[in-house]
Amino acid sequence: MVATTPPAAVPRRASPTARMLLTLGFFLLVLTTLAFIALPIVAIFVHVAPSTLLHELTNPLVLDALVVSAKTTLISQALILVFGTATAYFLASRRFRGRSLAITLIELPIVLPPAAAGLGLLVAFGRVGLLGSTFDALGINVAFNQAAVVLAVTFVAGPFYVRQGIAAFESVDETMVAASRTLGAGPLRTFSRVTVPLAAGGLAAGQAIAMARGLGEFGATIMFAGSLQGRTQTLPLAVYYAFELPNGLDVALAISAILTLVSLAILLTAKVISGSYLFRRGTGRNPTVALD
Amino acid sequence: MSAGTRRARRSGRTPARRLASAAVVAALCVGLTAASGAAQPQRSAAGITVYAAASLTQAFPVIAPGNTYSFAGSNTLEAQIANGAPADVFASANTSIPAAMYAQGLIEKPVDFTRNTLVIVVPKSNPAGIHSIYDLTKPGVSIDIANSAVPVGSYTLQVWNQMGLTSALMPNVVSQETDVTTVLSKIASNQADAGFVYSTDAETVPTQVTVIPVPAWAQPKVVYAMAVVTKSPNQAAAQAFVNQVLSASGQAVMRKFGFLPLTAPVPAIAAVKPLQTKRGGTVTLTGTNFSGTTSVTIAGVAAMFKVVSSGKIVLTVPPKAKSGAITVTNPNGNAISIKKITIGA
Repeated sequence: MVATTPPAAVPRRASPTARMLLTLGFFLLVLTTLAFIALPIVAIFVHVAPSTLLHELTNPLVLDALVVSAKTTLISQALILVFGTATAYFLASRRFRGRSLAITLIELPIVLPPAAAGLGLLVAFGRVGLLGSTFDALGINVAFNQAAVVLAVTFVAGPFYVRQGIAAFESVDETMVAASRTLGAGPLRTFSRVTVPLAAGGLAAGQAIAMARGLGEFGATIMFAGSLQGRTQTLPLAVYYAFELPNGLDVALAISAILTLVSLAILLTAKVISGSYLFRRGTGRNPTVALD
Repeated sequence: MSAGTRRARRSGRTPARRLASAAVVAALCVGLTAASGAAQPQRSAAGITVYAAASLTQAFPVIAPGNTYSFAGSNTLEAQIANGAPADVFASANTSIPAAMYAQGLIEKPVDFTRNTLVIVVPKSNPAGIHSIYDLTKPGVSIDIANSAVPVGSYTLQVWNQMGLTSALMPNVVSQETDVTTVLSKIASNQADAGFVYSTDAETVPTQVTVIPVPAWAQPKVVYAMAVVTKSPNQAAAQAFVNQVLSASGQAVMRKFGFLPLTAPVPAIAAVKPLQTKRGGTVTLTGTNFSGTTSVTIAGVAAMFKVVSSGKIVLTVPPKAKSGAITVTNPNGNAISIKKITIGA
């Protein structure tokens, strides 16, 4: 007779069947998620023949929308770069009472529904808005023209850049900055030659996200700037307009295809830039650049 | 106690717990099935789903309160129905969209159910000082219209083409909206100087906008048509709603909100008094549908006239008048008096 030890406290292991089911379950979950994301994007390109898509690219509606989107995106990105960098640096490097309030305020447009943002812009800067009569007196007309589109895009997209910029500047190694100052460089020179290059990866990623967000802006634009082909009708507005035209589905799909490809290009560029900066320069203490 | 039971007890998965988790899973399955079942089109006794042009927002719910309504630009609704939206009835602000949908088999044969009038609206303060459509050609005036795929937008362009004003007015257009109610709210909130909407829309915000009529001769034929959607699972109820709109009570509701009756009223002369008069004298006509009279002639010679009411016109015999029948004309047709009047010296 062999002395059998009672079943000791061995770690309970799932049976092989259970483990297989669990793995299968996870696999299915991930597969479903990927399929859910991929299907609408693929459908844009395969619902109609590629030749139809290419043909629709010559449609004046599409070309006008491309020009409007390109112009307004470029101008708003320039504004975001200038104002956003200054704001992000200020908020990153200073500690003052009300700092977290200021940061929350800057981040608010990120979560604010675009239609509400558009309405807010309208009642602030529109003809009968808070600043409307002031603008009138100065001869500035903001409503219903490209200035309104730029304002709407900057409002909704800027905070993405500022938020990313704050993180980027905060991650700059202060010892580098201090070293630069002790070596005799003035604040401006230190900023441009030391701080910005160290933060550049994060800043570039932030700019990319802001550009993608701005390109896709719809609600605030249509509320504040209206929609007029060749003047204020951006690519997203053109999709909406084209869809409701008789036999407009092809044009709408062509515009959607353009938007998808451009967004993909922006996303890939952002990843490449932030990746290369991380490897080459190093950002000091916390080299995490979140592309959220 | 078996080894299995021992294992189960140790891990906390007692029989009671296992029963509970099984019950939860079963409940989830039932719930999901019920939810997906609810997504199927229902035979609804409560009300049908009506997709209607935005200008019908006030009138339709008064005609049939129990239904579910979706109001938008007629072309938006067309796109939605073509892509499978669950509408039972479709009502458009024109006849061409329903005709196209009928040709595609999306709806049954459409029937006209009301008419409307295109007007210009300006904010109450009238910042640009607009008093007629010609004032809109002034540089710097901002005009808001619906885009050309929306019925009211296409009617607007028809008027402009009819009057030869398209090239003068287009530069002043600042936005092209997706439905008429957006145009109205932009004017009501003083975002633009003038907009083109239906007279029925203007009546919903009388304190915020002023109406400027479009010349009667340039007014387009604005006719609304509706039909049952072929894929509707509530065909009987849908047809009942169409009949309700066409009924006397339904039409009375439409008129109450400012829509025009289906048949365009043609004038009719009942009596002419006096039958003998001289040049410069006055003649009174009694009849019906005199409002909107554009001209009154005696034997072809135009006379100055005053529309006292829809049943009474007073005209002045012109200096060059000859004896003959009196003709009253309005945009829908004319009426010729049976008796001729005699003009003395």
